[in-house]
Amino acid sequence: MWRGIAANGKGVLVSPDDTGLLVRSAANGDEAAWRGLVTRFSSLVWAVARAHRLTNADAADVYQTTWLRLAEHIGRIEHPDRVGAWLATAARRECLQSLRSAAKTAPTDDMDRLDITPAVGNPTEEAVLAAETEREDAARAAAMWRAFSRLSGRCRELLRILMATPPPSYAEVAAALGLPVGSIGPTRARCLQRLREEMAGIRDGLSPSS
Amino acid sequence: MNESDDELEAELRRLAADREPVPAALVQAALDAFGWRDIDAELAELVYDSLVDTDAASLVRGTADQRLVSFAIGGITIDVEVTSAGPGRSVMGQIAPPQRATVDIRYPQDTVTIETDELGRFESGPLPPGPASLRLRPPPGGEGPAIVTDWISL
Repeated sequence: MWRGIAANGKGVLVSPDDTGLLVRSAANGDEAAWRGLVTRFSSLVWAVARAHRLTNADAADVYQTTWLRLAEHIGRIEHPDRVGAWLATAARRECLQSLRSAAKTAPTDDMDRLDITPAVGNPTEEAVLAAETEREDAARAAAMWRAFSRLSGRCRELLRILMATPPPSYAEVAAALGLPVGSIGPTRARCLQRLREEMAGIRDGLSPSS
Repeated sequence: MNESDDELEAELRRLAADREPVPAALVQAALDAFGWRDIDAELAELVYDSLVDTDAASLVRGTADQRLVSFAIGGITIDVEVTSAGPGRSVMGQIAPPQRATVDIRYPQDTVTIETDELGRFESGPLPPGPASLRLRPPPGGEGPAIVTDWISL
């Protein structure tokens, strides 16, 4: 599978070459090209913010600041075809800033757990989850989301970024996490295996016979 | 094995799109960001941010709510101190070398304009948290291109 080419939300093929063209056109003031960049990379920038387990408000700030920064830099991007990695790097930097800001008064872990972990000890959501189990697909989705939320930091970060639509390149994933590109493939395989194990554990736990 | 890794990843991707989509208002903000470009201005890039460029272990709890940020373009440096007071923010800055300028503090909802003193110092009132950028213009009667700074999250 060639990871750099993928269908975007509107079913248009976007290749790395097209990305460079979008950057150059946007630099010349082409608003449609800018829209194309937002369509292509919106989910990636959001995934970087979500992967760093920011609150909703902080994730929104990171997302918006990253796009404002690209707009100001659009005519100065050294490698227009790698603007995805540029965005991922900028978003990661904003996330680190946000996490270290003393203005965040609540302990990060607790707040983030509230933010993204569904249906743990919450009667209403438990009820919703119970209703969902009537349908197998929904149950699997719920178990998968819960398993994902339970993963350790590095795995959850990596997978959340891979979960962007369209699929990010490994170079973009590496930029988003500050990791070497070569480490992404092996870490992905390990983390997907961990996810399977978490899902198996959740399935066993929910089974009436256990 | 590889095949099923790809399938699992695709399933996760659909799940994320379903449960944690980019809020529509944010997508609109990203589209609107294009309108904030200042094509004629010089860009002063972020060269230092105490929150990012300081070793996390060396951050002292008591001083961490004073954030120092520096922007540079050519021979000009803009040093900014961001202070948090509850939900609000304020900035105090200085242009080096010292010179008078008009400073627009730009954020998505609004722009606030203040003048520096003769030493290039400026100070804002309370600002909302979120993205912000400075635009420096020559003082009334002066000449020269404007300078905009990188956007940062206050």
